[in-house]
Amino acid sequence: MSQATVDTTAEEAISPPVRLRGVKQGGMKAYLYLAPTLIVLAIFVYFPIVESLRLSLNRVAPFGTAEIFVGLENYTRLLQSSEFWNNVLVSLFFMIGTVPIGIAIAVGIGLLLSYPVRRLSWAHRMLVFVPVVISSAIAGVLFRWLYNPVVGHLNTWLGFIGVDGPDWLTTRTWALFSVTVAVMWRQLGFNVIIALAGLQQIDETYYEAAKVDGASTWHRIRYITLPLMSPTLLFLFVINVIISLQAFGEIDILTMGGPGQATENLIYSIFVDGFVGTRFRGLASAQAFLLAIMIIAVSFIQFRGFRKRVHYG
Amino acid sequence: MTAFDTDVAEVIVAPRKPTAPSRRRRGEPVIQVTLFVIGAAVALPIVVAIFTSITPLNRILSNPNSVWTTPWTFDNYVTAWTATPFGRFMINSFVQTGLITIAQVLFSILAGYAFAMFRFPGRSAMFAFVLGSLMVPFELTIIPNFVLISNLGWANTYQGLVIPFLASAFGVFMLRQFFMALPRDLYDAAKIDGATDWYYLWKVVVPLSKGAIAALTIFSFLGAWNQYLWPLVITNEESMRTAQIGIRFFLANQERATDWGAIMAGATIVMLPTLIVFLVAQKQLVKGIAMSGLKG
Repeated sequence: MSQATVDTTAEEAISPPVRLRGVKQGGMKAYLYLAPTLIVLAIFVYFPIVESLRLSLNRVAPFGTAEIFVGLENYTRLLQSSEFWNNVLVSLFFMIGTVPIGIAIAVGIGLLLSYPVRRLSWAHRMLVFVPVVISSAIAGVLFRWLYNPVVGHLNTWLGFIGVDGPDWLTTRTWALFSVTVAVMWRQLGFNVIIALAGLQQIDETYYEAAKVDGASTWHRIRYITLPLMSPTLLFLFVINVIISLQAFGEIDILTMGGPGQATENLIYSIFVDGFVGTRFRGLASAQAFLLAIMIIAVSFIQFRGFRKRVHYG
Repeated sequence: MTAFDTDVAEVIVAPRKPTAPSRRRRGEPVIQVTLFVIGAAVALPIVVAIFTSITPLNRILSNPNSVWTTPWTFDNYVTAWTATPFGRFMINSFVQTGLITIAQVLFSILAGYAFAMFRFPGRSAMFAFVLGSLMVPFELTIIPNFVLISNLGWANTYQGLVIPFLASAFGVFMLRQFFMALPRDLYDAAKIDGATDWYYLWKVVVPLSKGAIAALTIFSFLGAWNQYLWPLVITNEESMRTAQIGIRFFLANQERATDWGAIMAGATIVMLPTLIVFLVAQKQLVKGIAMSGLKG
């Protein structure tokens, strides 16, 4: 559900003082407690990294299931194919479409929600948080109904204001936009909760002081709220980039990557190459590797960013 | 920052109240209305689905806005339930989700306790091994895991759906943080009284950590119930589909028949368990999510 933020330097510092008696026996016992977790992670997370690399250097023989070593051929083939670059571009558009706007909306709603009001606050919060429990498949189904060109609600509502709604999911111009909205919607609940948590940590006295100095609402947001919540913003940025690169369920249900390949991002292409036609498993593994490098690179921004530039209040 | 800073979490769930009359500003009604409109807009796709699911099909197709008025009916649920084995899908999902949740919580308690309480050779390395797995994107593991599970003959089985997800690195990290915050004196006192680690874990640590364990249980439940890509690739027999995959194929079949009432009934059935969790355990859930963002 969510990526834990890891602070390895603090790990040793916060370890409790442990008596050293029984170290040897404790070692055996500790590994018994750890065994289930370590075994599952080794087999299903770490071994697949190596296996994935191996698969990406092979391809399945044209007839039968034998694997042929082809070196970097899968990678060179990808880098030369326009389909691959289309998928990369779709992934990037997805990221650009969901991340800044999604975070801006979440922070805006968070600001409104943190305004002290007397009644109904609880209900407002619950309405905004609820997408957090919705699956990607269900989000896809719900939006497919809203987007339906003939009997869907969206075009009916647009009709009220005299707008002739387009064919949301089957026209090249609108399909990517429509899928982006669905992905952003499902992510909104999570983002608002995180944004609100960051906002609530800011000390009230800063605002009081600014108010005494006559700062306007906008100035208080611009010069107090945003700088002081920069660790939260960075966390939201990283998590949202990772999630946008991994968007799959909504695409599968809304457009299946179409029309043409207008909404086929890297992960959908991995699915098509790796599972719809298993013949391209090597190619799919190579794409998975390239996508993984992108995701890990973004994760590292978080570690670096936390040390520099980000303001701690 | 500790894993559970309850003060911060408390204000997210139970919002700040205006403290003095001076705080009741003139803008309040505007903010109230704005928030209501935003909240209604966010919840709208879910509300539309539920209302559509109880409206007779001929009215849905003649005018989508008729879903807001009576007469309502449960016919769509009957159609959905009989047109496709939804009962079977739900059972599959409950078995898959139940097994994953129980295992993740149990294994996380054990590993979290070991990291929090024992000093042993390789502890830092093992901790890095567990946390490092959070950095590995799911896409990278899915093809090799598919090959492995298929070669074991576990495609279309519960083992195939469940076994790759029995451990949760996030859960280990979260519970370790929580266990470490428990007073060390408790442990020493229990040791002096002759308690074994096993006894201390289950009789002292676990009862004291109910909140953290509950939050992890909710996360694991939602994560497993909402899984999509893995159940999609590892099952191809209808009888082994989970609810999420069932609704995908149901949509594909019913859409040709434009039976949107039945599709929305199916969608409501599939999201109902998660909505119930949301309503019953919203505090734990929201707190848990807020914590994951504050730990940095």
